[in-house]
Amino acid sequence: MIPYSYALKEMRRRKHRTIVNVIGFIIVVATLVTLVSTARAWDTSTSQPLKQIGTDLILIYSAPVVPSGTGCFIANHLFSFPFEQSSMTEIQQVEGIKNAVPILMHRMGAVVFVGFDPEEKETNAILPNNIVEGRYLTSEDTNAAIVDYEYAKLNNLTIGSPINYIKGKFQIVGLANIDAANILKSHIYVNLPAGQNALPENNTGLVNVALISVYDPRDVPKVSQELIDKWAGATPIAATDLAASTSNVLKINEQTAWNISIIVAVVTVLFTIRTQVSTVSERTHEIGILKAIGWSKSNIVNQIFIESAIQTGVGGLIGCIIGVGLTWYLLGSMSGVTIADPLILAAGFLLALISGIVASAYPAWKAAKLSPTEALRAI
Amino acid sequence: MQKNIIIQLDQLTKTYHLKTGEQIHAVNNLNLTIPQGEFCTIIGASGSGKTTLLNLIGGLDKPTSGSVIVDGEDISKLNERDTVKFRREKVGFVFQSFNLIQTLTATENIEAALAPSEMADSERINHALTLLESVGLKSRINHLPNELSAGEQQRVAIARALANKPKILLLDEPTGNLDTATGKEIMKICHCASKQNGQTVLAVTHASYVKEFTDRLLYMQDGKIQTNPVDPIN
Repeated sequence: MIPYSYALKEMRRRKHRTIVNVIGFIIVVATLVTLVSTARAWDTSTSQPLKQIGTDLILIYSAPVVPSGTGCFIANHLFSFPFEQSSMTEIQQVEGIKNAVPILMHRMGAVVFVGFDPEEKETNAILPNNIVEGRYLTSEDTNAAIVDYEYAKLNNLTIGSPINYIKGKFQIVGLANIDAANILKSHIYVNLPAGQNALPENNTGLVNVALISVYDPRDVPKVSQELIDKWAGATPIAATDLAASTSNVLKINEQTAWNISIIVAVVTVLFTIRTQVSTVSERTHEIGILKAIGWSKSNIVNQIFIESAIQTGVGGLIGCIIGVGLTWYLLGSMSGVTIADPLILAAGFLLALISGIVASAYPAWKAAKLSPTEALRAI
Repeated sequence: MQKNIIIQLDQLTKTYHLKTGEQIHAVNNLNLTIPQGEFCTIIGASGSGKTTLLNLIGGLDKPTSGSVIVDGEDISKLNERDTVKFRREKVGFVFQSFNLIQTLTATENIEAALAPSEMADSERINHALTLLESVGLKSRINHLPNELSAGEQQRVAIARALANKPKILLLDEPTGNLDTATGKEIMKICHCASKQNGQTVLAVTHASYVKEFTDRLLYMQDGKIQTNPVDPIN
């Protein structure tokens, strides 16, 4: 145990320097944990709403006024104009677009109603894997509906219960669990033609939302611009647009978070090298004594590394705690976000450890190569 | 019957090259043999090369030329690893300024000398405590060096030097920072330890009372052992 008790006592003797080093590692780890966790939350919060419905873009025509009385067309809580379902064919011809799926989304009071094409099983307002009870719809279902599980529970609705929406009369065939992050989360889902017929006016062949998936997600900005250029007044909504509406999330991507963390680590390493070199210089005589009593170079190097490992270990641990605390402070109110991701914590701890090893390598080498007689002569 | 020779120095030279281009022969073509178990004392003026000689015998420094044969092994030819092993196992150093690690207690200072050996924790602690008891410091085991008197610190240093049961004890002005009574006490401890364990002691000192303890007194001047010395003590 002597190397450890010796290390602890040496650090206690130079407590100010030790505290500064530990603070450096705390900053490294806390920065990494907070920034990477936040970046992941940012990514989750912006991409999840679209990922959940398998789309890259939502295309709507925004309505300038809120209609009243007979309900209104909405998409992503925005009021929108209806447009021809046949536009999907034209949209699909835009370069880079893989698929365009028509959706009718309407609201009456607090109830949100969706008409969709059940044959579209990759990109849709509701997908077969959302069903928790009963079944998904088929294109032959004319008066069948799927209802959000929470909504059904709240209104004592079960499979087989009748449910009406304006002119439409439906029977529940399935209950679906729709995540709150789903941007098109609604209460009632029916076949598209049945939905069009249920609305007060004649809406045959009209939809108000197009869910667009692209071959390469990097093409989203280019495709968005082309849609705007081709259809005046069209509003494409991508993950980055959703980000603008996300509060309490630091707008930073994960790569930037890592880069910032590594820069902080490099600065800490340089600073720690400086303090460790000073420490080794002050201990030159002591190192001479250790060599005289039989310590080898590797014993000396180990001693320096043990001291560094204790500092990085303590700094890493406190940094993880502070990082989780800061992440919780920033993201605690968000759902679906991991506050303490073990992988991020491990990565933070590992970064501190690597920083510590790098920071002590040079001072340790400097100490090890000291000649015992010269070291003993040092005051 | 002739005793075994434990230290044999043949034409040993240590030269320092100063920046001015000047050469200093701290040890100059020195020949010396010391039999096993002898308490040998070297006296000489400051700068005569005594400490350099101890450093060469103790493997802390390498000679410019000549050989240092200790316990049948020419240590000037040992590699780094074997030199460390030699220092750890064959020699124990006692310095004028005690050279204890200030942050470690008396026990831990002795443990530090045992740390590189593969000794179990409990065995190491017990051995350190036994050594402290043997130098009369049973009641000071948990004291830091700055809580001990100069004499007590030197006793800890002696216990540390004895920790690895070395064949040779090298004492570099061990009484230099002590009053006469304490110095005598220290020399007595070293003398007893060497006689009990059959250790060879090579001491360099200025103190006149060393004659009471030494088997052979040598005089060093200008890096050489003098055959017809003028005793600087008397």
